[in-house]
Amino acid sequence: MTRLRILGKASSINVRKVLWTCAEIGLDYRREDWGSGFASTRDPAFLVLNPNALVPVVEDDNGALWESNTICRYLAAEHGRTDLLPATPRARAEVECWMDWQATALNGAWRHGFMGLVRRDPAFADPAGIAASLRDWAAMWAILDGRLGTTGAHVAGAGFTLADVVLGLSWNRWLMTPVEARPAFPAIDAWYDRLGPRRGFHAHCGNGVP
Amino acid sequence: MITVWGRTSSVNVMKVLWLLDELGIPFERVEAGGAFGRTRDPDYAAMNPNATVPTLVMPNGFTLWESNSILRYLCRTQAGGNAFYPEAPEARADVERWMDWTLASMNEPMRVLFWTFVRTPEAERDMDAVAKALVAGGRLWRIIEEVALADRPFLAPSGFSIADIALGGFLHRWFALPIERPDLPRLRAWYERLLLRPAYRTHVAVPMT
Repeated sequence: MTRLRILGKASSINVRKVLWTCAEIGLDYRREDWGSGFASTRDPAFLVLNPNALVPVVEDDNGALWESNTICRYLAAEHGRTDLLPATPRARAEVECWMDWQATALNGAWRHGFMGLVRRDPAFADPAGIAASLRDWAAMWAILDGRLGTTGAHVAGAGFTLADVVLGLSWNRWLMTPVEARPAFPAIDAWYDRLGPRRGFHAHCGNGVP
Repeated sequence: MITVWGRTSSVNVMKVLWLLDELGIPFERVEAGGAFGRTRDPDYAAMNPNATVPTLVMPNGFTLWESNSILRYLCRTQAGGNAFYPEAPEARADVERWMDWTLASMNEPMRVLFWTFVRTPEAERDMDAVAKALVAGGRLWRIIEEVALADRPFLAPSGFSIADIALGGFLHRWFALPIERPDLPRLRAWYERLLLRPAYRTHVAVPMT
């Protein structure tokens, strides 16, 4: 099997999901810088791999694959990592629903606040929109805090899974965003401390990049 | 018996009802969400802390939310489910990428279009937002036309799958809403192919409310 090729700049939150997953698996890869500030994802050589012009893309002997959560599940399945992605339907559903939750509920909440406060995008500069987004974002964390209070360990249950990868990166983004009034989320704080010793955490998650 | 919580007008509830019918599984449905409320009641929050629909309750008491995760779970556990969700990692990823794409990319423009034309009085409609959503939606449906359907009848190479179910609700809305659409013949043919399926006509291709 040829070495996995990863297309996408290392600062992208979605690329970092894949890089952290590779670190957990111990997977060797070759990464290329694509995305804003680097090679354009509108380049025909990129579009042929991903018509959406988005990073990350991975390529191996089976072809090219995109959508970061799908990539992480594919890599875990391909390498038999049933700890990261359980084989039994029920345990697996516990991982997947929180991954989908990250892609829908959580991502929908943070966009305006993050784009305004961190990316300083003029389209997201209005204070009322930012304030509403930060409230929605905190409401999502309250849901996750409740969940982690129940499991007392990780997002999907006792063990570390891909749900912790995608939500760990999301929480790091929250920590790196200048939010003035930060509600307390003690169960999330305890969980995030638990992620610290994981392989790949310091390189790809808690690395000072929002 | 399997129970599905959620009003039939929700595009996410539609996905689950469609799959259950495709698999020939009897189910019980309980109204929740929108005008039916219930989702903020403590007993509902205990099943689904997000106050969203659908929520699936299995006969053994296991509860699950997030409609795409429900589709995958049902395919893994119910007889016949493999036909709509292949087991090999690469074939499975070919289904899942379009499911995740629906959540990440298509949700937003289709939400704007649906809410504007179906749930917002004419005088209060934000037509600038509609114009943007039509551009974004048009670009995304063109990806379906030119990439996903370029050489096959359904989204995934393995044939009709839960990827079609995940996106099929928005597809009906795209053709049913009073909007200007680019001419995308493969997209139209795919819609007509889905309309041949009784479960799609029963649960998805219905008047929008």
